[in-house]
Amino acid sequence: MDFGLLLESYGAVWGSLQVILMTLLGACGGVLLGAIPGMTATMGVALLIPFSFGMDLIPSIGLLLGIYCGGMYGGSISAILIHAPGTPAAAATLLDGYPMCQKGQAGKALSVAMFSSFCGGVIGALVMTFLSPFIANMAMSFGPGEMFMLAIFGLSVIIAISGKSITKGLISAFLGMALCTVGLDPTNGIPRFITYKQTGLLDGFQFIPTLIGLFAVAEVIAGVERIISGEEKQEKSNEKIKNVLPDLATIKKIWPNILSGGLIGTFIGAIPGAGGDIAVFVSYGASKSASKHPELYGTGIPNGVAATESANNGCSGGAMIPLLSLGVPGDSVTAILLGAFIMKGITPGPMMYIAELPTVYRVFAALMLANLAMLVVGCCGVRFFAKIVSVEKKMLYPIILVISLLGAFSINKNVFDVGVCVAFGVVGWLMNKYEFPLSPILLALILGPMCEKNFVRFMNIQKGNFAAIFQSPIADVFMAVALAVIIFSVYNQRKINKREAEAAKSQE
Amino acid sequence: MKAKSAKKLLSVALAMTMLAGVLSGCGSDGGDAKDDAKTEAPADEPADDAADKADEPADEPADDAADAPADDIAYPEKGISVICPWGAGGGTDACLRAFCEAMGKDLGVALTVDNQTGGGGILGHQAIADAEPDGYTIGMITFELATYKKLGTSELTWEDYDPLCRVNTDAATVTVNKEWADANSITDLASYIEYCKAHPGEVQMGGSSNASVWHIAGGYLMQETGIDIQMITYEEGAATAVQNAASGFIQGVTVSLAEARSFIESGHLVCLGVMDEERNESFPDVPTCKEEGYDITYFTQRGMAIPKDVDPAIKAKLEAACAKAIEDPDFVEFMKNNGQAISYLDAAGYTEFLQQSAEDVANAMDALGL
Repeated sequence: MDFGLLLESYGAVWGSLQVILMTLLGACGGVLLGAIPGMTATMGVALLIPFSFGMDLIPSIGLLLGIYCGGMYGGSISAILIHAPGTPAAAATLLDGYPMCQKGQAGKALSVAMFSSFCGGVIGALVMTFLSPFIANMAMSFGPGEMFMLAIFGLSVIIAISGKSITKGLISAFLGMALCTVGLDPTNGIPRFITYKQTGLLDGFQFIPTLIGLFAVAEVIAGVERIISGEEKQEKSNEKIKNVLPDLATIKKIWPNILSGGLIGTFIGAIPGAGGDIAVFVSYGASKSASKHPELYGTGIPNGVAATESANNGCSGGAMIPLLSLGVPGDSVTAILLGAFIMKGITPGPMMYIAELPTVYRVFAALMLANLAMLVVGCCGVRFFAKIVSVEKKMLYPIILVISLLGAFSINKNVFDVGVCVAFGVVGWLMNKYEFPLSPILLALILGPMCEKNFVRFMNIQKGNFAAIFQSPIADVFMAVALAVIIFSVYNQRKINKREAEAAKSQE
Repeated sequence: MKAKSAKKLLSVALAMTMLAGVLSGCGSDGGDAKDDAKTEAPADEPADDAADKADEPADEPADDAADAPADDIAYPEKGISVICPWGAGGGTDACLRAFCEAMGKDLGVALTVDNQTGGGGILGHQAIADAEPDGYTIGMITFELATYKKLGTSELTWEDYDPLCRVNTDAATVTVNKEWADANSITDLASYIEYCKAHPGEVQMGGSSNASVWHIAGGYLMQETGIDIQMITYEEGAATAVQNAASGFIQGVTVSLAEARSFIESGHLVCLGVMDEERNESFPDVPTCKEEGYDITYFTQRGMAIPKDVDPAIKAKLEAACAKAIEDPDFVEFMKNNGQAISYLDAAGYTEFLQQSAEDVANAMDALGL
C-alpha cells in the first residue's frame, strides 16, 4: 500500500472541478433513473458511455460511478414510497421501507436509506482500497461448485423474509423456482414448457417485468380496490422533515445493521455473478436473525431499511474489486464499466495493479467521491421525494401504472413483457390478499437460474460426481452457514409466533 | 484546454437534457424511446439538414457515380433507428455504437441504437428482418444468425436480409491454463492436440453460451483435428469462462484474445494459437493455428443489414455511408482500443461470405451434436 500515491490520487480526483461536476451530474441522473421502476443504473451507464468517449478517463469514470451509486440509492425511493422497487437491488428495501411510509414516516425512511447507502458505499470503497488483492484472490477461487452453494445459502434466508407463515413463504418460493424452469434451458438450449414460436418466453419470464408486476402493478390494483370500496385514506404528509439526515438516536440504533450490511454487500458484490439483488436479502436475513426483536422486522423499522440499503451500496465497491483486479465484472454495470476502461486503452486485470497503479488509486478516490455525490443529491431530494406521498391517490395510481408498464417494456422493447407484467400484477395482488409473502418468489427468481446453471456446470465438469463439492472449503462453509441459517430462522419464527400468541392472550 | 473541457461539459449537459427529455417523455405521453427519438429529431434537423445539403453536391458525384438515382432521393430526412440484437455494454453494442457515430457523420442525422434483446439474439434479428423497409430502421446482424435454423429456434437465415457490409471479425483461440499446460508439458498447439488425443474426453474447454460462436469453435476444432474434448457452456458469457479457466476449474477456453487478454498478460493463461489467417496486431507473439500446422480459421462476425425490399437508392446511400464510416479515424481508434478487428467487406462480398459461413457453421454444429 503506497499511501503517498493514494493521497496524491485523492488530491488529483477531489481537487478537479470537472471530475466533481461530472460525478454530481452522474449521481443526479442515477438517482432519477434508479427511482423509476424498469429504468436501471445499467441503462443509464450504457446510455451515457458514448458521451464519455471524448472525456479523460477519470471524469468519465466519475460520471459512470456517480450513476452507479446514485442508481443504487434511487431504487429505494420508489420502493419506500410506492411499493415498487426501482431496481432489483432495492427489492428488499420495501419490506420495511413501505410499512414505514404507511406509518407516515416516509421522510425518515428516505433519510435512513440515504444515510445507510452512503455508509455502505463508504465501507465498500474502503474495503476496496485496502483489501483488493486479498478479496480478488478469494473471488478467483469461486468456481461452479462454490457458486452453486452460494445460491443455496442465499435461498436459506427465505424463511427469514417469509413473514408470519413459513409454509406460505415456502409455497411462494417454490412457485418462484417453478417459474424459473420456463424458457430455454441455460446449458443446452432445450425449450421447456414453450415452443420455439413463443419468442417472448425463450429466456423465461423476464426478471424486471415480473418484479414490477408483482410489486408495483399489484399495489395499483390493490389501491384501486381500496378506492372503490372507500377504504383508501389519503395520507397527509404531516411529518415535518427537520433534518434530511437521520438523528443521532436513530443512527445509534441502526449502526450495527449498516456495518454488517456494508460488509455483506461488499463481500457478495465481489463475487463475479452475484450482485446487489442477492446481497440485500442476505443482509436483511442476517440482521433479522441477529436482532433481539425479529418480530419487528417487516412492520416498518429503520433497521430493516438500513440493512438492505447499506448492502446494495456496499456492493458497488465490492463489484469493482474483481473488475479492476481480475477484469471480471461483478454485475451488469461493471460489465459496461469494463468496456469504458478498455476504450481508454486500459485493460483491467491482474496486471492493472502493477502497470496502472495510479489509475487504480484514482478509481478508488472516484468511487468515494461518487458516494459523497450521492449523499449530496439525496439530501437535496429527500424533502421533494417525500411529497410524493401526499399526491392524491387517484392521480398517483395511474401514473405509477403507466411508468410501470413502460419500464417493463423498455427492458427488451418487447410488448410481451408488458403482458407478463400485468399478469404478475394480478398474481401479486391475489397473493397479497391471501397473505402469501412476495419476496420469496423474487429471491427464487434471482437465485434459481444461478443455482441451476452452476449445478449443471459443476456436474458436467465433475462428470456426475456430486460428492466432489465437499472438497471445496468455500462450498463447505456456505453449506454449513446455510444449514445454520435455516435452523436458526425456524427457531426464531417459533419464538415470534409464541410471543405474539402470548401478547394476544394478555390482551384478552 | 479550457475550451476543450467546456465542450466536454456541454456535451454531457446535452446528454443529460436528452435523458431528461426521454424520461419526461416517458412520464407524460407514454411514448417509448423510439417515439422520443423521432419527436426529438425535428428539433435537431434544420441545422443538420443544411449541413447535409451543403455536403452533398461535393461528395455525391464521386461516390455514387454508378448509382445515379441516389441523387434524386431525399434520404435521410430524419433520425435512423439501429437495432442491436444484444444487450447494452456488450461487444456487439460497443462496436455498433461507435460505428453508428461514424455513420451519422456522413449521413448527417442521428443514428439511435435500439437494443432489442432476448432469445439468444433472435428477437432483435427478427425485428430487423420485420422492420418497415423505408431505410429508417437498420440493424447489426451477428454470427449467431447462422445457427438459428440449424438449432430449430427460428427460421431466420441471412437470406432474410439485404446485407450492407461486414464490420468486424474476432477470431477464436485455443487458450489454456498455464499451470495445467506446464504440468503436462504442453508447449504448443501440436503438443496440446497430442495430449487431447491421449486423453479423449478429459480436457474441458469453456466457450460462452450454448451454440454461441466460441462453443461452436470448439466443435470446429474437434472436427478439424479429430480430438475429443468436452465443451462446457457459460451462459453468463466469456468472462466467467475465462475466470474459471484461469483458476483451473476447466483447462482452457476458445474465446477471443480480447476476452482472455488480461489473464494472458498476467500469465494465468497461455494462448496456443489463434484461429485466424494472420496474427493479431495486439498480440504479435501469439501464432496462428495455421503456422502451427493446423489450417483452422474460425471467427465471429458482425455486420450491418437492412430488411428486404428497401429502395435501391437508399441502400446505395447506406452502403456508401458504411464504406466511409469504416475508415473514420475515431472508429478505427475505438476498435483498436477495444481489441476488435475491423474487417470490412462490401455488400456483395458480405453476401457471399454469409452464404459460405452458413454452410461451415452447420458442419461444425454437427460435430458438437447440436
